[in-house]
Parts: sequence; C-alpha cells; structure tokens
Amino acid sequence: MAEILSIEDVTVRFGGVTAVSGASLSIGQGELIGFIGPNGAGKTTLMRVITGVVQPQQGRVLLAGRDMANWSVSRRVRAGLALAQQIVQPLHDMSLLENVTLAVGMRHTASPLLSLLHTARGREQTVARELLARVGIGDAADALPATLPLGFLKRMEVARALALQPKLLLLDEPLAGLNQQEARAMADLIAELSRQGQTILLIEHNLREVIRICPTLYVQDNGKPLAFGQTQQVMADPAVRRAYLGAAA
Amino acid sequence: MLSVELFVQGIVQGSIYALIALGLTLVYGLLRILHVAHAALFTLGAYIGVLVTNQTGSLPLALAAAALFAGFVGMAIYKLAYEPLLSRPPYIALIASIALFIASEEIYRITFGPYGLSFVDPPLQGQIQLFSGFYLKHGEVLVIGLSVTLLGLLAWLSSSTRTGIAWRATVTDPEIAQACGVNIQSVRYLNFFIGSALAAIAGVLVALLNNLVEPTMGSVPSYKALAIIVLGGLGSIRGTLLAAMALGVIEAFGTIYIGRMLDRDAIAFAFLIAVLMVRPRGLLGAR
Amino acid sequence: MAYEITLLTTMAISVLFALSLNFISGFCGQISLGHAAFLGTGAYTSALLTKASVPFLLTLPLAAMTAALLGVLVGLTSLRVRHDFLAITTMGVAFLFVGIVRQQDFLGGEIGVSGIPPTGLGRVGFLILAISLAAAFAAFSLYVRRSWMGFVFKSIADNEDVARLLGIDVPRYKLAAFVVGTAVAGVAGALYAHHFRFLAPDSFGFIESVSVLAMVIVGGIGSVWGVAFAAAILSVLPLMFQFVNDFKLLLYSALLFAMMRFSPDGVAGLVRRFLVTGPRNRG
Repeated sequence: MAEILSIEDVTVRFGGVTAVSGASLSIGQGELIGFIGPNGAGKTTLMRVITGVVQPQQGRVLLAGRDMANWSVSRRVRAGLALAQQIVQPLHDMSLLENVTLAVGMRHTASPLLSLLHTARGREQTVARELLARVGIGDAADALPATLPLGFLKRMEVARALALQPKLLLLDEPLAGLNQQEARAMADLIAELSRQGQTILLIEHNLREVIRICPTLYVQDNGKPLAFGQTQQVMADPAVRRAYLGAAA
Repeated sequence: MLSVELFVQGIVQGSIYALIALGLTLVYGLLRILHVAHAALFTLGAYIGVLVTNQTGSLPLALAAAALFAGFVGMAIYKLAYEPLLSRPPYIALIASIALFIASEEIYRITFGPYGLSFVDPPLQGQIQLFSGFYLKHGEVLVIGLSVTLLGLLAWLSSSTRTGIAWRATVTDPEIAQACGVNIQSVRYLNFFIGSALAAIAGVLVALLNNLVEPTMGSVPSYKALAIIVLGGLGSIRGTLLAAMALGVIEAFGTIYIGRMLDRDAIAFAFLIAVLMVRPRGLLGAR
Repeated sequence: MAYEITLLTTMAISVLFALSLNFISGFCGQISLGHAAFLGTGAYTSALLTKASVPFLLTLPLAAMTAALLGVLVGLTSLRVRHDFLAITTMGVAFLFVGIVRQQDFLGGEIGVSGIPPTGLGRVGFLILAISLAAAFAAFSLYVRRSWMGFVFKSIADNEDVARLLGIDVPRYKLAAFVVGTAVAGVAGALYAHHFRFLAPDSFGFIESVSVLAMVIVGGIGSVWGVAFAAAILSVLPLMFQFVNDFKLLLYSALLFAMMRFSPDGVAGLVRRFLVTGPRNRG
C-alpha cells in the first residue's frame, strides 16, 4: 500500500508550551483514518502543521514521499493536499458554484500568465455542478453563501476540497455545529467518499460517528500520541478510555 | 548638549502626538475605522482655546471649554457619520472620514478666515532654565506636565473604577465585554468623547506653542497620527504611547542629522515602513 | 475649443490613472493610499527624458517601467503587511516620494520641473492618444475581469487565506496586480507631465493619492464603467464649481461624504439599484 502522508516525530512548541510532541502517523492510499482526542490534545496544531500554517520545531511531514518542509500552503495544495475547514470560509461574493469552480480550475490558476490567457469556464462549471450534486447540495449551486444554513456550507467546503482532486482530503471537524441528523448524513457522505477510493484524514469530536465510519483511529492526548490502530482495539485500550473518561470527569 | 536638547524637544512633540493619537487608537480598537477626521477636532480645540482665552483671559477655562465642546462634536461624528457605515467595508468609512476632514478645514477657513488667529495676550511666554545654557519654555513644560497628568489620570481611572475597568475590558476585547453585559454603544460614545477631548487639548497646546491657529493646522496630525497608531500596533494603547514618543524623538534627531535627504514627514514614514518590515503588526501589535 | 480639449485631456488622463488604481484596489483588493507616487514616478521619468531630447512616445514604456519597478517594491511590502497596515504603508510611500523628490536637485527639488518640451503630436493628437490609452486599458480591465485572472483576484480580495487553500499562489498574483496597476499609472504620469508641461513634487503626494482613491470608490470599487465615469466627472468637478469659487472644496467634500454615507457602493451601486428596482416600479 502506497504511503500518501507520513508524519514523522513532529514536535511543535509555542513559546514554552509544547502543543504537539513526537507525533507520528502514516496514511496509506485509500485509507480513512479518524483522528481523535480530548480538547487541548493538539489536533488543530498537528492539522496546521500538515497544511503548512505552523512550522514544526522537529520532525518531518511527507506527502507521497516528498518532504514538504518550507512549502507554502498553495504549493502543498497543488501537490495533492486539500482541506475542508472546521469554521467554514466560503468566498462570500461568489455563489457556491463559483466557489467550487475556482477550485476545479486549478490548472488555469497555476500562474498569473496562464490565468490571463483563459476565459472560458463552462467545463469547470459542469464539473463543479457534479461535485455539488455529489455532496448533496446541487440545488443550492447558484445561491450566495450568506443565504444558506451551516449544513450547506460545510458540504460546500467538502465539495471545494474534492474539486482540487487531492491525494489526501483533510476534514477538520466536518460534523461540528450540525444536528444529529445532519451529522449522520455528513458521516455517511464521508464513508461514501472513502468507498469511492478517496484517502481521508478525519479530525472529529463526534466519537460515535467516527467509530461508526472509520476502520482506523489515531488518538492524541496532551500533544502526545496515545494510540494508533484498528478502531476496535484502540477503543478497548485502557489508556484511551482513561483519557476520555478523565476528560469527562 | 545638543542631543539632550533634541531629546527634550522630541518628548514635547511626542507628548502632543500621544494626546492626539490616543483618541484614534480608542476609535480603532472598537470600530476598526481609520478616523482621519479626528484631526478636525484638534483644530477645533485650538480655535476654541484662542477664542475663549481672548474673551476671558483664562487658559484653564479655555482648555476645559475646548475639551468639552470637541468631546461632544466627536460623539456627534460617531452618531451621524460612522455608526451607519459600520457594516460596510472599512475603506468606505475612511473616505467618508477624509471628506469630513476636508470639509472641516473649509468650514474653519470660511468661518474664521484663511490667515489664522493668535492670542491677544499670549499666556505662558516665560522660560525656565533647566541647567546652564538649556532653557525650556513654560508652554513646553505645560505640554509635558499636562500630557503626563491626563494620561496618568486616564490610566488610574481605567484601573480602579468599575466604569473604568468595564471600559478597558471593552477596548481590549469588545466581544467578550459585550457577553459580560457591557453596553458597547455607551463605551463607543465614551471613546469618542475622551479621544476628541484629548485631541482638542493638544490643539490648544500647539496653538500656545506657535501662538497661531490656522485652518490647515490639522493636516499634518491627520496623517501623522495614523502612522503612530499603526506603528504602535493598531488598537494597542501602550503601543500608541510608545510610538508617539519614539516618533517625536526620531523626528527631532532626524531633521538635524538627515534633514538634507528627507523632510520631517518622510523621516517619520521611512521609520514606519522600516518597523513594519520587521514587525508587520507594529511595535506592540499581536503577532 | 482649446478649453474643451484641455478639459477632455484632463479627463482622459484621470480615467487612465483611476483605472490603474482600480486594478490593484478594486480587482485585487489591495487598498493603496499612495498611488500618486507612481503617477509621479512616470511623470518625472518622462519629463526628464523628453528634456534630454528622447522622443515622447519612446518615454511612455520607460515611464511604465520605472513606475512598475517602484510598484514591485511596494507590492513586496504588501506580501508582508496586510489590510489597514498596508493602507498606511502605502500612504507612507506617497510621503517618501515627495520627501525624496523635494531634496534632489536633478529632479528640480522644491521648484519642480518646468520647460517640458511639447510632444509634437499637437493638442488634438495628444488628446486622441490620451483617450485611446484610457479606452485600451478600460477594455483590458474588462477582459481581465472575465478571465481566470479576474476570478483569482476576486478570491484574493475576498479572503486570501482561502485563496491559498485553493492552490493559488497569492504573492505572485498580488505582485502581478501591482506591476500592471503601477505601470499604467506611470504611463498616465507621462501624459500628465506633457499635458501640464510643469511638475511640482506636491502634485504627487497624499492629497492626490486620496483623490484618485475617492474616484475609484465613488465610481464603485471594481466596476470599470463606474470608476471611469467617476474619474471623468470628479477630475473636472472643481473646475465646474468655479462659479462658487470660495466654496468649491467644501462642496466637493460634502458630495464625497454624502456619496459614502448614502450610496457606499458608488455610482455603480446606484445604477444597479436603479436597474433592479426600476422595472418593478414600472410593473
């Protein structure tokens, strides 16, 4: 199985605080891995290391075998990384369709000169419509983001990330803020994408849905890796139970 | 010896900058508006200062009148000009503010004439000798003394009274303060009042130092104060005070030593750009 | 007739200048309060060259190049500082430009540059050149807005962090916007120099920078037609208010304020609202 992403012994410190310490994780082609941990576990920080917003003091992150150190965010995206963010950030002046179309057209947007030489958007719009339909919001394609509820925007984020045809899809708390029914539908969508062969790293608080759809789990607590393996085994691990029950108590 | 003199001159100028720029920081902290028209209140204060002094002969009365009147005009500007524009992109309020400022200069020119006003009997014209060969005008002593007193008073009020603490909390983090039950609207009015009053007092002090009030005397402060709050870190009160003093001193030395290459304004902005290249969010801005 | 030609030439140069700022601020969302510095760079370059007997038409590309060179420098700062910090940094550029030019003898210092030779095109020829350049850049702007470049600019103006996440190399696009916008401002400067035949450093300072930003915003930021219209009108408005000479600046500023207060999306917004509500009123 080809390695898509491997995180090797990553440590991040902010001033005197160690946010992530010695994190290691690898994701193979077509895998769906759930990344969980109690609040303050350093999930967001590790995610930012992957996208390149935060630089680690130690360790490496490899995408398809290439070290991404010092790569800009846009370069990582072009190399095959895509992110759907926890806090949805649609481009507000554009319809959902335009939001996704811009991502589909990444071939045209690779450099200013290329972008200047192309005007036609028809083909990209067709693909974008298909993607919006695939995540279940095809009807809202022409609406502006401000007029839509959160559930739609969360799905748009996923469609926009898929539009980049990523080797690895990073989903940062895609269920957060959704009601139980919406969360379940979104989880089903993620499972479906995985079945279609998409490699996914899912960072999520909603333990029930994560356990339901993810065959593999990676658990982090207090910035340190706690467990990594098959979902059933990880959830049976006393250390994991303690971290969660401890956090709940 | 020259360097001490330049340093003191820099502190005098820096104190004036601090009084003007503080109000701008208060406005920016709450509304994210670059309030160029703030300098209109500086000029207004100067006119009121000269007019009241000439009528009554009392400088303290003039200072109080200038502060009060400008304070209320500042509140009116918020209500009539900025409040309706808060939901718009910030450059809309910026252009509106610049328009207000130009209009104010024209109103002063049309009302008071283009050549300016002076004190009939200029107060505080004496000098004191600090040490041999080094004199300080009474007016300059007043500038430093009054700035320190007013800013100290503000610091004390904001740390030891209930209203003051609520006010400071709001300036630091409007959203959290609102969640804690602070009435944001009244804090905004208060900020405009305090900021405008301080700018007006700075206006009276400058009128005193130059013995002249002109319609265009606000044009330099209008942009210089913006440079100062950006230098300080936009919204940081301590940063603003630090930047005001630093700029005052750097300009004082700069005009002597590199004045041949760059004029005063250019020195200020060269310094600003240099600082921003190293610290893109200003001296004390959040990283 | 001579007066009308002067008026029209002034309008055409202002339209070109305002559209050049619209490219940076309207399309790419980078607000600049120092755009007059690039007008000045082009104006001084062209004036000094024609005084040294270089043919006027040849100075146009050279003026564009020097202005764009300065534009790249300012563009580089825009990669480091953002939003209001950038606005004030660009304002600093205007003051630095004036401050430096004032102290340089070879640029005429405080006195400025006079005796700029005529272009050899004649007044009408020069007017036609100015109008053609303004029209050509307006057409180019309209094209860019339809292209993928315009699409990318719109995303950067909206939220540059999101643009990065969509694989867009934001710094390169910002620099491209600065290069195009400042080069065209340089060309406008070359026209300016040979229209007025006299340059003073203060003509390229903060006030001029604010006036051109006001043209862009009054027109409706990003709208090519709106900005061209506003630039044409606002550039000659003070002349039209000549009959109320003493109050012309007051009137100008009052209009500007009223526009921001009651129609913040500019002339383009006014027209759009009219077109939207118009048919409903009729029906």
